[in-house]
Amino acid sequence: MPPILKRGIQPSDFPQLILILILILTVAMIWFDPIIVDERLDSKTLGSIVLLAVFGGLTFIDLFLSLGVTAALLAIFWTERRWYVVLGIGLMMPALIFLLFDQVFEIRFPRGVLTNLWYG
Amino acid sequence: MEAFLSGFISLGDPKLLLILLAATLGGVVIGALPGLNATNGAALLLPFTLSMEAIPAIASLVALYCSATFAGAITAILINTPGTPASATTCLDGYPLAQRGEAGRALGLAVVSSTIGGVLSVICLMLAAPLLARMAYQFSPPEYFALTLFGLSMLASIGEGSPPKNLISGAFGVFLALVGVDMLTSVERFTFGSHNLYDGIGFVPVMIGIFGISELIVQASSLDKKRERVSMKAVQLPNRDDYRKVWKTILRSSGIGTFIGILPAEGATVASMIGYNEAKRWSKTPEQFGNGAIEGIAGSEAANNAATGGAMVPTLALGIPGSATAAVILAGLMVHGIRPGPSMFTEQANFAYTIFWSMMLVNLMFLLVGLTGAKIFARITLIPTQVLWPCVFMISIVGAYALDQSMFDVWIVLISGIIGFFMRRYGFSVVPLAIGLILGEMLEQRLGQSMVMLDEKWWLMFTRPLSLLFFCLTIAALLGPVLWTKYLVRLFK
Repeated sequence: MPPILKRGIQPSDFPQLILILILILTVAMIWFDPIIVDERLDSKTLGSIVLLAVFGGLTFIDLFLSLGVTAALLAIFWTERRWYVVLGIGLMMPALIFLLFDQVFEIRFPRGVLTNLWYG
Repeated sequence: MEAFLSGFISLGDPKLLLILLAATLGGVVIGALPGLNATNGAALLLPFTLSMEAIPAIASLVALYCSATFAGAITAILINTPGTPASATTCLDGYPLAQRGEAGRALGLAVVSSTIGGVLSVICLMLAAPLLARMAYQFSPPEYFALTLFGLSMLASIGEGSPPKNLISGAFGVFLALVGVDMLTSVERFTFGSHNLYDGIGFVPVMIGIFGISELIVQASSLDKKRERVSMKAVQLPNRDDYRKVWKTILRSSGIGTFIGILPAEGATVASMIGYNEAKRWSKTPEQFGNGAIEGIAGSEAANNAATGGAMVPTLALGIPGSATAAVILAGLMVHGIRPGPSMFTEQANFAYTIFWSMMLVNLMFLLVGLTGAKIFARITLIPTQVLWPCVFMISIVGAYALDQSMFDVWIVLISGIIGFFMRRYGFSVVPLAIGLILGEMLEQRLGQSMVMLDEKWWLMFTRPLSLLFFCLTIAALLGPVLWTKYLVRLFK
């Protein structure tokens, strides 16, 4: 490192300062307001987090396929039983969002099983 | 003066007017939907503004901020569920009044109070921001460092969470801001060899995650809540008796809201709580509060909308966000290459005044939208959660991807969303994280510049009057929450 850059605080100084601060604050938190885990996650919340993880895994196949499937599953999981509503959420909405971003905002999405059909 | 007038003339652009109208309508819809508020609405809108020029982009964000803050009152009054946290106190008197068959009167009063509060705060913004900016011209790095530190210390007293938890959240945000290559030395920090982290963690995906996705997970646990809407014929403007009863309350709450908004990090929620309590304290009939007192609605609504203009003062003049939504707007400014601060009022004065005038216009727009369309917006409040949130999820993900067309940003949204949910679950507010993330880089830069300027004698910072003042204010802000909590407990008793 050139000597001129050795003046003042170094790249590692400030992060260390912040980490020490977090450590001190954690001790203060334990003392004044400790974290109390009083109840377990309910099934709907846990299931929603799992669905988000499923979405993450499916993105490797196709982003929009993954979005549609996850959104539809989320709606069903959250007690939506009307098939036309689920279809609207799983098919119509992703298609509309894709067209909006592709045609209006000119965003190019990553290639996948479905997007390849559009991009050719 | 020239910029003041040219900013006003800029509003004549039909494209800008159309964008403002669309953002106002969108903001009212977002504010009216329980779970969605100005902050996560602005985070969702941000990616859509990327293809716009800076003025319409930022104007649409501030339009959404103002209109969503107002629209929280619609659900507060009609379904006893605050559309935004800032409208929680509006429920206390708005819903009882609606139950008595006076929903139209309650909404009319909320619209008028919000408009007056908003307009007065924008006038204050127009006067105070340039003055503050002129003052800030005398700041050198030590003063800026002390000021940024003061801004961060104010996070201790943010509504949710205890002071230590809020400060941990803020410090974590500052820490995240340090990820990436150090600009001065080109040393990589916490990148773990990933080129995706080379430029650091983008604050927009983090905000979409912590405000949007975390709320989605929170909503999963409230699916069983039944919402019933009180019927309403039409919105009624307040009559002369109503005005006579509430004009003092509106003016007082507007002042309170503007002042609270100007304080770094304090937003509309705190403003509405104090506005409501002061309305009750000064009322001749305090016993009617909680049973449909119109002063309660006016006090709460004027204060929360006045806080929007107030919050923009430190945001634009100093680059320190005045509220959580202002932090998202600050992120929008940075994404569009605009660095808020004193120079904005000399180098980009036209931009600044166009934004001010846009805010003024939006406050008048939602008066019209509220009076004519509240009945329609009231219907939107009953969109089922299981339909709304999967759509919000898709827009969040695609919006985050669209920023840099990077799947890495999608991952950041997901991870920060889950982290944000657990933070909220265990009592940590996510707002300090967002503000810390935005201010972190600035804080480090100013400290580095100060150390070079003062020849590494850091204690000399305390010998400079202005920086010493900010350090004292920082200590006051850190000790303040203890006294503040006692004051609020006493008021609510």
